[in-house]
Amino acid sequence: MTGPSGAALQEGPVGRVLAKAGDGLAAVSTLLIAVLMLIICADAVARNTMGASLPLVSELGAALLVAIVYLALATTVRANRLARTDMVLGALARSRPRVAAVLSAVYDLVGAAMLALVGWAGVLTLAREYQGDLYIGIQGVLTFPSWPFGLAFVLGLGVAVLQFLYQAWAALRQGQARTGGGLE
Amino acid sequence: AQENIDLTIASSHPTAIPWVGMMQTHFMAETDRLLAETGTYKITWNEAFGGALYKANATLSSVEEGVTDIGWVFSLLEGAELPLSQVSSYAPFATNNPPVQLAVMQELIDTVPELKAEWEGHNLVVLGLTGTDSYDLYAKKPIASLADLNGMKISAPGVLGTWLSGTGANPVDGSLTTYYTDIQTGVSDGVLSLALGVFPAKIYEVAPYVTKVQMGTAFSGAIAINKDSWDALPAEVQEAMKKAGAYYTEAHGKDLLERPVAVMQKIVEAGATQTPPVAVADLPQDQREAWVNVLPDLAGTWAKDMDAKGLPGSTVMNAYMAGLKARGESPIRDWKAE
Amino acid sequence: MSGVEIGLLAVAVLLLLILIGMPIGVAMLAVSFGGVSFIRNEGVAFRMAGSVARDSLQEYLFAVVPLFVLMGLLVTISGVGKDTFDVFQSALRRVRAGLGMATVGANAVFASITGISIASASVFSRVAVPEMVRHGYQKGFATGVVAGSSVLGMLIPPSLLMIVYAVQAEESVGRMFLSGIGPGILLSVLFALTIYLMARFRPQMVFAEVKQAADLPGLGLAETLRKGAPILALMGLVLGGLYGGFLNPTEAGAAGAAGALVIAILRRSLGQGRLWHILVETGQITVSVLFLVMAATFFSRMLAMSGLPAALGDVLLSGPVGPWGFLILYLAVVILLGCIIDSISIMLILLPIAIPVAQAAGFDMIWFGVMTVVAVEIGLLTPPFGLSVFTIKSAMNDPDLKVGTIFRGTMPFVLAMLAALVILAIFPAISTWLARL
Ligand code: NA
Ligand code: NA
Repeated sequence: MTGPSGAALQEGPVGRVLAKAGDGLAAVSTLLIAVLMLIICADAVARNTMGASLPLVSELGAALLVAIVYLALATTVRANRLARTDMVLGALARSRPRVAAVLSAVYDLVGAAMLALVGWAGVLTLAREYQGDLYIGIQGVLTFPSWPFGLAFVLGLGVAVLQFLYQAWAALRQGQARTGGGLE
Repeated sequence: AQENIDLTIASSHPTAIPWVGMMQTHFMAETDRLLAETGTYKITWNEAFGGALYKANATLSSVEEGVTDIGWVFSLLEGAELPLSQVSSYAPFATNNPPVQLAVMQELIDTVPELKAEWEGHNLVVLGLTGTDSYDLYAKKPIASLADLNGMKISAPGVLGTWLSGTGANPVDGSLTTYYTDIQTGVSDGVLSLALGVFPAKIYEVAPYVTKVQMGTAFSGAIAINKDSWDALPAEVQEAMKKAGAYYTEAHGKDLLERPVAVMQKIVEAGATQTPPVAVADLPQDQREAWVNVLPDLAGTWAKDMDAKGLPGSTVMNAYMAGLKARGESPIRDWKAE
Repeated sequence: MSGVEIGLLAVAVLLLLILIGMPIGVAMLAVSFGGVSFIRNEGVAFRMAGSVARDSLQEYLFAVVPLFVLMGLLVTISGVGKDTFDVFQSALRRVRAGLGMATVGANAVFASITGISIASASVFSRVAVPEMVRHGYQKGFATGVVAGSSVLGMLIPPSLLMIVYAVQAEESVGRMFLSGIGPGILLSVLFALTIYLMARFRPQMVFAEVKQAADLPGLGLAETLRKGAPILALMGLVLGGLYGGFLNPTEAGAAGAAGALVIAILRRSLGQGRLWHILVETGQITVSVLFLVMAATFFSRMLAMSGLPAALGDVLLSGPVGPWGFLILYLAVVILLGCIIDSISIMLILLPIAIPVAQAAGFDMIWFGVMTVVAVEIGLLTPPFGLSVFTIKSAMNDPDLKVGTIFRGTMPFVLAMLAALVILAIFPAISTWLARL
């Protein structure tokens, strides 16, 4: 599942803690996929037996999907499976490994910066969701608080940011670019 | 010399939707016209209609956050952020007169501080209001009485589902893009919808029996401008936009009276040659009364929920109904909050 | 600098970053953030990034992505995929490159149960590629066939792209669905023809080693039934559910995944932590695809803000080009945009400009929609940003398989799609006759 240099990233106490955190969140994401499947099936069964949709299924399904994506983001980053092309970096890693390592670290740092921005916006939204008792669904039918989804969003992005930072540090320390594995 | 002002105007929906198209033909055009009278300022519009900048699930936050300067805020999808603005959805059958409804909503926004704050608290200034045409029933079979509804699966997402409570019909989730296939394949037997939505989506092809229930119109949102953008505008431009917004609201309300009649005629014409052909029938008045009276106390429950959150739900509901009656409407059920 | 210039610069920088190997989603986020900062300011860019990350994915229709991925993985691990291809291989064993054609046929059938091409790509990269490689096909060709035929997923109904077009053009979703059937069959035939011609005249592009499949014994009737029953049951569940009125498209995805789970359990394929492994895989594939969709949405919104698409439209669509000139230019722009952004974003950016022009040109809007969808789908196969190709790469998880190899493998199918566009342009009835019945 992980590329050659991806495996090395689990070494050391920081790497192991991050791997645990990422896998923990991914496990929740995984369970949510099962939940998503179950509620959608339950809705279909309810409509065909009782004639009516279960309330909130489409809103809940959409919100669950967002949580599923961000909770599994860190582990996907660690597994080196974000889409990219490897033509230039791969060649560079063979001919000028130090240059490639610096480049690879820069990509990870840009990734960390972008996800940190998105995550910080998520923190502000989460605060509003929590304080304002915001909900998904319809008043008078069924509502569900939106802060758990905001929390999943922020947690997933937070761990992914740390994972990117750790990878940047590891690439510089090892003098080795992250190539191979995942989407090249 | 003339000063140029760049402004982005956007929507989640395409300009083919009447009230989005009227943002161009009425709001923008009237603003331009007013500004041209003195010629001091000229606006260069950067148009981003049709969801180019954001989708229907982010109409409020996108204006609030300045993603666009001006945009149509779809309040019906923002129940959590604009709770008091939902009042018309919890008083079905109250009015089928969009100009009156929009006038009452404008009055409420101007006079109930919490309702005004619910919009302005999102860093925006309301310029014009939008509403729906009347909700009717489009089904696979003719509906002559309330009893015919019993056991039917009707596409009625969200709060519309509550308009079926007690009728024996079961609400099915969906959206304008899914209704056609849902009805065609039997996921539902019909839909509670608007002529203005049914015609372009050609739902009459699969649900040819149109029952004009006249369930009422709903307040759907507003043309609003980001407050930071607003504050940066010269007073003359602000004044022109206020006037253009009022002009838009009035023209749109009037359009909602006339256009659905024409569109219903188009539905009849377009569906004349299909089998079975489109058949339009009014639901008898006694059946409309039976329908609205079988509904649970939607207004009272909503108002109580709002009050419990510290919002003036009862005040808004009662003022809404009073406003309608003051303008000559006679709701067939007198919704009220205790 | 004007918005249009910022937009052009952003496109150039994005292409450069993608080329030198920055993760594409990250590059899109960074370029879009920079673009919006220059067009408006950092505050707007920051808030836009925050909201796009959530609202672009908060879409019930996208729930079909993990569900169809999960269904694909379960179908694969329980051996149903291999069995299916044994049946196809047996049926087409005397045909040159029969398994390649079987992949196209199976994709066409599968397309009638999924509305998104990335689902087809992820399922058949798991199911068909290992089978073809096992039978001596080139990896590049095998993945190329899968990527190429995955576009059928959004041409043959149900189709997410047809829904998007129908909404924008105010056409009936049902009619748009019907309009995809003829072109879907045409494209399937063209793909099969492409495969045949390649195997006949350029066998070294198709086969890694010469295995004479025709010498293999065919399956007996009992064996064919045993191997074919599970996939038929699954398709019965999904297709029967959809067209029998029991399920909407998202539910069909969930029911398909649940059905595949039952089959896997019955076949005792899920022991030793394999179910957990599959669920984790599902999560990672879903993330790598939807993270791109999210970043691509931000990019297209930044472009819309820059005014570049509208300016392009003005330059290309005004002027003395005439209806056919307009059509060719429009399709060229769609295909070029397809190199760098995703299908839905292209339609969201271009259709508001193009639809009024097409109506003024007097085009049949159903036919115009089909042309648009086919051209947009070419983008799934073209570098540097080819979503079907990336999906296959992600689903295969094979370090030896380079993205460039897959892109080269898809090129013959890109040519076949261009040929399809020409045929569809000359014979509009292929698209319209069923829809206008
Ligand atoms: Na399909
Ligand atoms: Na592409």
